[in-house]
Amino acid sequence: MNDLPTLDWPTAVVFAPLAGAILAFAWPRRAAGIGLASVLLTTAAVAALALRVLAEGAVVTRLGNWGAPLGIDLRADGLSTLLLAMTAGVGLFVSLGALDSYAPARADERTRRYFWPLWLLLLTGLNGAFLSTDVFNLYVMLEVIALAAVGLTVLGGGREAVRAGLEYMYASILGALLFLMGVGFVYLELGRLDFAGLIAAEPAPALTAALALMIAGLLLKTALFPLHFWLPGAHANATAPASALLSGLVVKVSLYIFLRLTQYMPLPDELLVTLMGTLGAGAILWGGIQALRAERLKLLVAWSTVVQIGLIFVAFARAGQVGLAESWKAAALLILAHAVAKAAMFLSAGRIKDEVGHDRIQDLDRSPIRPTLAQFTFALAAISLIGLPPSLGFAGKWVLMEGAMAAGYWHWVGITMIGTLLSVAYFSRVLAGFLRFDRLRTPVAEHQGWALADTAPLVLALAALSLGLVAAPILAFMEIGYPFGATP
Amino acid sequence: MNSGLIFGLTGIAVFAIGLFGALVMVEPLRRVLALKLCSVGAGFLLVVGAWQAPPDMPDPVPHALVITGIVVMISATAVALALIRRLHSLERASDE
Amino acid sequence: MTDPLLIFDVILGLAIVALAVAVLAMHDRFAMIVLFIVFGLLSALAWVRLSAPDVALAEAAIGTGLTGALLLTTLHHIRATPPAPVPVPAGAIIANLGLCGLIFGGLVVAFLSTPLQAPGLALPVAQNMEASGVAHPVTAVLLNFRAYDTLMEVVVLLAAIVAVWMVERGTAQAPSPVMGEIYRGFARLALPAIVIIGTYLLWVGAYAPGGAFQGGAVLAAVGLLLLLSRLYRPQPAHRPLARLGFVLGTAVFAGIALLVASGGRVPFEYPAAHAKTLILLIEGMVTISIAVTLAALFHGREPEYASVSENHK
Repeated sequence: MNDLPTLDWPTAVVFAPLAGAILAFAWPRRAAGIGLASVLLTTAAVAALALRVLAEGAVVTRLGNWGAPLGIDLRADGLSTLLLAMTAGVGLFVSLGALDSYAPARADERTRRYFWPLWLLLLTGLNGAFLSTDVFNLYVMLEVIALAAVGLTVLGGGREAVRAGLEYMYASILGALLFLMGVGFVYLELGRLDFAGLIAAEPAPALTAALALMIAGLLLKTALFPLHFWLPGAHANATAPASALLSGLVVKVSLYIFLRLTQYMPLPDELLVTLMGTLGAGAILWGGIQALRAERLKLLVAWSTVVQIGLIFVAFARAGQVGLAESWKAAALLILAHAVAKAAMFLSAGRIKDEVGHDRIQDLDRSPIRPTLAQFTFALAAISLIGLPPSLGFAGKWVLMEGAMAAGYWHWVGITMIGTLLSVAYFSRVLAGFLRFDRLRTPVAEHQGWALADTAPLVLALAALSLGLVAAPILAFMEIGYPFGATP
Repeated sequence: MNSGLIFGLTGIAVFAIGLFGALVMVEPLRRVLALKLCSVGAGFLLVVGAWQAPPDMPDPVPHALVITGIVVMISATAVALALIRRLHSLERASDE
Repeated sequence: MTDPLLIFDVILGLAIVALAVAVLAMHDRFAMIVLFIVFGLLSALAWVRLSAPDVALAEAAIGTGLTGALLLTTLHHIRATPPAPVPVPAGAIIANLGLCGLIFGGLVVAFLSTPLQAPGLALPVAQNMEASGVAHPVTAVLLNFRAYDTLMEVVVLLAAIVAVWMVERGTAQAPSPVMGEIYRGFARLALPAIVIIGTYLLWVGAYAPGGAFQGGAVLAAVGLLLLLSRLYRPQPAHRPLARLGFVLGTAVFAGIALLVASGGRVPFEYPAAHAKTLILLIEGMVTISIAVTLAALFHGREPEYASVSENHK
């Protein structure tokens, strides 16, 4: 646009965490400092990018100045930028929480040294995926994310974590390879890989096959029921900051790509849209039942992720009259709400486990130690996940219900209600334990609240609660740059 | 009938076989190999997408993609194998 | 159907499919890996038939050779415990067989509907070859047109070594460097391959300054042999140097991509006068990183002070 040597913000958003990862790995003694600095830089770059998108509309960088389809373009429109901002915000506070979780007194040196490079590589992959406009590039980004995420899953090093990490790895590779096979069919049919090519393409059997393969891979990676089998183990057995990143951010990437692809290559049949919604409903019910039965706090939180992903798919399928054309906003809002609230919840669950010494739900009310602030944070996050006003979760559900009612999908509204009631039920199991003192045999020990380490999850939980008040501007921001329908 | 057609079908068959293995197999090493079969199948498809009957030159873009895919796949394989070794050590340690 | 080469193709295709089945069906795990190596080499041969020598080389060297080495060393590590026979219910097998059969059928229909031998991006690549700074089209795509992908691929490799170093630790015994029959068996397979591949790469280098990945793989094979023959033993004191080797390629690649972006240029837009030099520099550094990383992935664990004593028994 102008020849001033202004920084190219999309590139900066990808390269800042990459530089941090390189430095943090090469210089392990300074990993935490480098990591935090790099996350801060990335956040600043995202903020600058968001301001430009707000001022000028979608920002496009033609890497190498070749231009798609020969080269690869990065493109930041409203939706991309919103997800980048979500990643930066959640990432920043999880990083702050990690400073405490992996402090010398709590974690061994290895964990501390390896968390930062893995997390920064993950951040590189996440940011790259949100900016990508090329399906093969998305495949490579998915693999960057997969390897870093598996590394984070097994950071604790226990047997259960490694076993869950291996299952996660198999699912992740298979999902990526299904996606790659789909990319192959796209190239066979179109001879190009960029989004503009997909938008312009006529329907063809090969593109249907490509879409089916890519969607199958993405559903496996995002753990939509019944492909969720790998998720609870992986998310429940990781260390708290890693769980927060995995549940809050990593599963959202596949959802985001799904959202883009289904807009650019519409599902050929309304029946498939219904199938997506039905699987989502299955996730809500099955995940809800499993959360009710879970014995450990982190496992319950992990099952709640399965439920929330189901809810997002119900939104995809049913928050609008015609196919997916209108419903993406409800889905995007729910993605955002879940990311912030779930990160807060996993971090606070980790704090509770650290303080109490275990996370058996049944025995929480027998603990003489009550980490008050962490419990309070957990409750706030639960409010957003249940979807009570004024939280962001409420705003997302509201848009979903409004769309579904306007379209006359009454039984889908019913399913959303049942999901809400289930979530009230399983979160009550935990919250009741926090508030009961009558099963206590010994006096309550010294007050354990108000630790500095609780700040990060508390800020996230408050954000999840209060962002609902600015849902309207967020919805308006999402539409900047016409995310769908128009060619870049 | 031409080489592209023959090897395209080969690739799809290899992918399907690998997919079956990935879904059904239980043994860790075999599951990794099944995934590797899937990746070779996808590679076949892209190489066929590039192919032109000689003497025309093939399209270099899919070739570059497959090379990238091969390097990505060995990275993923290496991590999966490291996890298998680590899990084996942990299980053996807890058995003793 | 008079072309004898087409008959060869059909036989090769059938052999590849049969081998894929055999790999999964073979009971003995060592034989399974050997069959996989044969499968990989035949696939590479098929890709030569499809006029994709670069890909064939990469598959033979990395996808088959080094992957096979990784599998064998893992098998050596875990073979103390034979696989527990976990019965898979016949219903699950039949259901999945049906599912994969359906997928196969659907993909074949979709494949037959595509315009085979479509031009794809061959034309834009050819038109821009002059400006790319290299003579070999695949190298031009890898290091210039789609350089961003290639950078991220090197990042994947970096993520892999970070994850592997993180995973393998603690009290577990390092895989014994001397691998007996497996090593000798593998060396017999690998050494001629290394010689052939190395020679081909030298020859191809004359007109194509390419092959960072293939070259890196060949160098990694040398590293493997050094590790296996105990000519080199990883020491904890070498870790900083190793880390530097792992990140070198990524750092230089990303650094150059950013540094060229000034004076109206965007990232990855190499100035025409220096494109060739810069690409060569990137390739060289990436080759070193790939070689070091692949060899380290084979070795597996981070060399630590705690585990040194174990290795000396």
